[in-house]
Amino acid sequence: MGARRRLVPYYLLAPGALFLLVFFLIPLGLMLFTSLESGGLLSGGFRFSWAFENYTDVLGQYQVQFVRSIVYSIIVTIAALLLAYPMTYWIAFYAGKWKSSLLLLILVPFFVSFVIRTIQWKFILGDHGPILGPLKDIGLLPQGFRVLATPFAVVAGITYNFLPFTALPLYVALERIDKRLVEAAKDLYASRWEAFRKVVWPLSLPGVFAAFLLTFVPATGDYVNATLLGGPGTTMIGNIIQEKFLVELDYPEAAALSVILMIVMLVLATVYARILGTEDVQRVAGAGA
Amino acid sequence: MDDDRSMLDPVAMQRALRYRLTRRNLLRNTGIGVAGFSLASLLAACGSDEGGTTGQSAAPQDVFSGEPRDTLNFANWPAYMDQAKDKDGNVFHPSLRAFQQRTGIEVNYQDVINDNAEFFGKIQPLLAGGDDPGWDVIVITNGRYFTTLTQNGWVYELDPSKRPNFDANAASWAKDPFYDPGNKFGMAWQSGITGIGFNTEQVNGEITKMDDLANPDKVGTSSVGMLEGDMPDWVMINLGIDPVTSGPDAWREAAAWLKMQQESGTVRAYYGNDYLPDLQEGNLNAAMAWSGDVLYSAIWLGLDMQYVFPEGGALLWIDNMLVPAGAQNPVGAAEIMDFYYNPDIATMLTEWILYMSPVPATQELIQKDADKNFDQGYKGYASKLQATAENEFLYPSEEFLGRTTFGFGDWTDESAEEWDAIFLPISQG
Repeated sequence: MGARRRLVPYYLLAPGALFLLVFFLIPLGLMLFTSLESGGLLSGGFRFSWAFENYTDVLGQYQVQFVRSIVYSIIVTIAALLLAYPMTYWIAFYAGKWKSSLLLLILVPFFVSFVIRTIQWKFILGDHGPILGPLKDIGLLPQGFRVLATPFAVVAGITYNFLPFTALPLYVALERIDKRLVEAAKDLYASRWEAFRKVVWPLSLPGVFAAFLLTFVPATGDYVNATLLGGPGTTMIGNIIQEKFLVELDYPEAAALSVILMIVMLVLATVYARILGTEDVQRVAGAGA
Repeated sequence: MDDDRSMLDPVAMQRALRYRLTRRNLLRNTGIGVAGFSLASLLAACGSDEGGTTGQSAAPQDVFSGEPRDTLNFANWPAYMDQAKDKDGNVFHPSLRAFQQRTGIEVNYQDVINDNAEFFGKIQPLLAGGDDPGWDVIVITNGRYFTTLTQNGWVYELDPSKRPNFDANAASWAKDPFYDPGNKFGMAWQSGITGIGFNTEQVNGEITKMDDLANPDKVGTSSVGMLEGDMPDWVMINLGIDPVTSGPDAWREAAAWLKMQQESGTVRAYYGNDYLPDLQEGNLNAAMAWSGDVLYSAIWLGLDMQYVFPEGGALLWIDNMLVPAGAQNPVGAAEIMDFYYNPDIATMLTEWILYMSPVPATQELIQKDADKNFDQGYKGYASKLQATAENEFLYPSEEFLGRTTFGFGDWTDESAEEWDAIFLPISQG
C-alpha cells in the first residue's frame, strides 16, 4: 500500500514525461547531432563528423540577424506590455460581469490562423490598400509612402500576433489582487497613483514577468512576420533558419543556428530571472502567503 | 482483377516483393521498441542514412514493363493544370479526366509543390531510405534539385521506347537538354522564361533592361520584387556571362550588381515564388517575373501589366516530369507523361496555363479554337485565345530562344555551398 502510494507521482508523471521524451528530448538530441554533421545532399547526405565549424561559420555570418531579432523582440515585448497592461487592468478591476466576454475578445484573433492574420495585415496595409490608398488619393500622404517592407511593419505585426501572450498572464495576476488592499491604501491617504505604484504594480509583477518571457522568447524566433511584412534589411534569425532548413537544405548549419538561438534565449531568460524575476516573484509570493 | 494482373507479371511481382521487404525492415525496427524506432526513422529523416538507392540498379526496361496499377499519384505546382467546372459546379481537370477515360487509371492529382527545395526536402528522407516517396510523377525544375535527384539515383531512368508522342511531337528545346542528355530521366512538363513584369501605370517610361530595376527614377523606391532562386543566373545573363559555365568569380560579379541594386533602394523584397499577388495588387511596380504569370494576368485577367524580355537576355527554365525511385506505379507514370505530348491534350493545358508548351503543334490547335469561337460569336474568349496563340513567349522563334540561357548546371556540394555563401547574404541581409 505504502509502496503503491510512493509510486503514484511517477504514474502521474509518466504520460507527460514519455511525451516529452519522444517529442522533445529525442528531437533535441537529434538537433545537436545534426548540428555536428557535414557533407551535402548532392553526394548523398550528411554524416556525423564533430563538425564544430558549423557553429563558428554561422556565428560569423549571422550576428546581424541575431542582434536584430533580439532588438525587435525587446521592442515588441515592451510595446505589448504597454498596450496590454492598461487594457487588462481595466478588465480585471472595472469590467464586472463583462470580464469573460472582454477576455474572449482578446483571444478571438487566435481563432484565425496565424498566417492568415498576418496576410490580412499585408492586405490592409498594402501600398494601395484600404488605408493607404484613400489617404494617398486625397493627398494626405505622398504617393511613395508605404508601411509594408519596413521594420515598423515587422515589429507591429509581431506585437499584434503576440499580444494575447502578454495579456493573459497579466490578466491572471491583476485579477488575483485583492481589491480591498487598494481600498486600504486609499484609507491610509495614498493617492490613486501611489496606491497603484505601491500596491497594484508590485502585486502584478509575477504576471509582468511571465508575460515578458512568454512574449519575448517566441517573438525572437518568429519568421512569418518578417517574411510577409518585411523587406530587405528586416531579416530575423528565424528567417535564416527557415531558409537554411527549407531552401538550402543545409540541415547542419540550420541546426547549429537553432542550438545557438536556444542557448542565447536560455542565457537571457536566466539572467533576466536572476536580476528581475525570482526575487520579486518570491517576495510577492511570500507576502501573499 | 488487379491482383491477378500483378500475380501474372514477373516485374510487378518483383516490385511487390521489394515492397514487402521494406515493410519487413520496418517491422524489425519496431521490434527494438518505440524509442529505437523513432531514432532510426528520425535519423533517416536527417539524411544521415547511407541507405539503399533503389533507382540506380533498376534497369528501365524492368521498371517500366508490365501493366499499370489502378491509381497514379501526381505531384505538381499550383495552377499548373487545366481546370473546368462541371454542371454541378465541381472543379475538375479535363485533361486528367481524358487520361482516366482512355486508360482507366485514376489520377490522384495534388498541387503540393510550392518550391523545388521544400518539396525535395520532404521526399529526400524517403528516397534516401529506399522507401516509396508516395508519388509516381513529380515536376522539378532543372537545376540543383534536379541534379541531386538524378545523381543519387533517386529517380528512375526512363524507358525511351515508351514515349511515341514525345518522339513525334516534342519541341526541339525539350529534347536532349544539356542537364539531362537524351532525356534519360525527365520529360518537360512546361517551360518558361524569367523576364521583367511591370504595372504599366506605375513606372516612368519604358522598362527594357535589367538596370532599369536598379533605377529609382524609373521604378520608384522599395517597389521591385526579385526572385531569390532565379536572380543569380538572371543577373549573370544580363551582365553578359553564361551562367551554365560560370564560376565563383562570375557569381561575385552578379552579387555585386545585386548589392548595388539593393543600395539603390528599389528592392522591396526577395521572393521565393509568391511575388504575383504583390505585383497584381500594385505593391510592386516591377518584378523579375515568370512569363506565364504575367501573361495570364494581362491576357485573361485584363490587368494593366506588361511582360518584357530584357535587352541583356532572359533565363530559360524547364519544369520536368520525373518518376521518383520506389514509385508504386512507374508504368502508369510513363503513360501519363507521354499522354501530355498528345497535341490535343497539350492544347487543353496551354490554353489554361499560358506557359511554353513542349508541344509546338498546340499553337495551330489554339488558333483553330480561336477561329471556331470567333465564328460562334464568343469574341472575348476568341480574342484571348488568339492572343495566346500569337504570343512569342509561348511560341518562341529560334532567334528568341537564342537570347535565352539556362542557369548554372554544375551542381556539387562544394559549388552549392560557395553559391549560397555568396548569394544568401544578399536576400537575407
